[in-house]
Amino acid sequence: LQPDVTALRKALASVAASAATIDEVPGLGVVVRTGPDAALEVLTALRDAGYTYLLSCFGIDTGEGVEAVYHVRSLSRDGDVRVRVSLPYGGTVRSAFHVYPGVLYPERELAEMFGLVLEGHPNPKRLLTTEDVPQPLLLKSSEVRHDADVHRREVTAVRERIEAAAAERAAAAPAPEADGEEA
Amino acid sequence: MAEPRRYTTTRLQPEGTYQAPEQPVVPVRVPSGVDGVGTENLVINMGPQHPSTHGVLRLLIEVDGERIVAAEGSIGYLHRGIEKLSESRRYHQLGTLMDRSDYLSGIHTELAAAMATEQLAGIEVPEKALWLRSLMSEVTRISSHVVFYGTLGLDAGGMGQFLYAVRDREKLLDILDSVTGSRMMFNYVRPGGVLNDITPEDAAALRTFATEFPKYLQEYHDLLTGNEIFERRLRDVAVMDRATAIAYGASGPVLRGSGVAYDVRKERPYAAYDQLTFEVPVGTVGDSWDRYMVRMEELAISNDLILQCLDGMPEGDHMAKVPKVLRPPAGEAWAEVESPRGLLGVHLISDGSDVPARLHLRGPSLYNLQTMEDFLPGLFIADAVVGVGSLDIVLGEIDR
Repeated sequence: LQPDVTALRKALASVAASAATIDEVPGLGVVVRTGPDAALEVLTALRDAGYTYLLSCFGIDTGEGVEAVYHVRSLSRDGDVRVRVSLPYGGTVRSAFHVYPGVLYPERELAEMFGLVLEGHPNPKRLLTTEDVPQPLLLKSSEVRHDADVHRREVTAVRERIEAAAAERAAAAPAPEADGEEA
Repeated sequence: MAEPRRYTTTRLQPEGTYQAPEQPVVPVRVPSGVDGVGTENLVINMGPQHPSTHGVLRLLIEVDGERIVAAEGSIGYLHRGIEKLSESRRYHQLGTLMDRSDYLSGIHTELAAAMATEQLAGIEVPEKALWLRSLMSEVTRISSHVVFYGTLGLDAGGMGQFLYAVRDREKLLDILDSVTGSRMMFNYVRPGGVLNDITPEDAAALRTFATEFPKYLQEYHDLLTGNEIFERRLRDVAVMDRATAIAYGASGPVLRGSGVAYDVRKERPYAAYDQLTFEVPVGTVGDSWDRYMVRMEELAISNDLILQCLDGMPEGDHMAKVPKVLRPPAGEAWAEVESPRGLLGVHLISDGSDVPARLHLRGPSLYNLQTMEDFLPGLFIADAVVGVGSLDIVLGEIDR
């Protein structure tokens, strides 16, 4: 099922050899790693080599930056290639819309969920969330609040309120022992 | 203070009490284009509460009269962060989240996640489980396609067919309930196999359904397919050619309706599909009618596959020995299935811990939906309803 690596190298010959490296990752097959500058060239070369079908476009937070993954497939030869573009946090993605129109929505989601700037896209808006989301949701630095945490935080807040109110009452009213002594 | 002008009619006055109003009543003319007042395009919202947006889809359409000039999808109303939540759930718990993404065909989404987990952890699935997975996939495919049949008819203005669709879907949901323990949120396909074996009673009920279903399918065709109004609402509406469908990443019946015979069950067989015989229907024009007919053909094919699965079901165990807590070695895996809506894939990354480092769900509906921005301009608003309906989207899987 996996495409011939030498044929791929020939297809990517137009792209400078230093700009893109071709690996075989176990479990995935052929992966082309590249940077943001050569990404569009690599994708164009792949499309012209017959990889016309874009399966998915998504991001991965690697810990050192964001990797944008373009998963393309040749329907006639039934081979898959993944193009992985390394980007810094907050980096700029040059849209592949004019190579693969299928990235119309997924690239918007990619930019929104990983805090990237989308360049050259016909409609570079957010896709799923609104502007008041505090940080890009799929970055590892963005934490998920578990229901237990939320619950614990609420319970703690309520308890603190009750204790504060009790302390206030105690401070306002004279101590009951003192009342007893006076009587 | 001037009296408010009263619009009286003589007809309702008792005889002889009519008094002519002091001022003549002059109707105020509403300015219209006829008066030479210029018209401009309107940007209107369809949805998210529109009756025919299939959930919570909002379309922003710019219209010139009744014609659409430009369209844009506005989604995210059902975003629950399933991909993010997956990063804090154990591998066994992924099925629960996956069920809630595509809520009309949970088995397929669970299956993709389970297959990716099995690849990562190197789990061998017993033969029986593979057949049960194929069987339940096809049962879900029918239960999902009949919803499409019912709702597309609603979009085109019919009502009766929806009741027929729900009648038959209920029978399938009862069987699914009995086999998996739930009507829609199954969590049936687990890493290593499936939860339950099918009991002889359930197998018999399913066989009864599958033998009766061709009769129901004929009823469907009699109700809608043969209806001239319905046909003319669908023919040559929302046409998508091969190149456009491929370029936008469309899959499933949308891609096949445009004439590309691509079916994951054929191209990359999973579960027991390499041992089953079936055909892949394709359309020729790529209009709403082709997409409708492809799904109607698939109903018959899925029904046949159910019978094949019941006949060929091997003996054996339905679950492999799997540790209680899965800690797959660091690595990446990709698994894809043919869901009722198309190519559904899960990209799973493990860092060696008991929770995934990243899960990406490639939902077919998202890619099928974006073709809409290509074909809507030029259509009437009423045709847009049918065109979007013919894509058979599920918003839970688009927004995730």
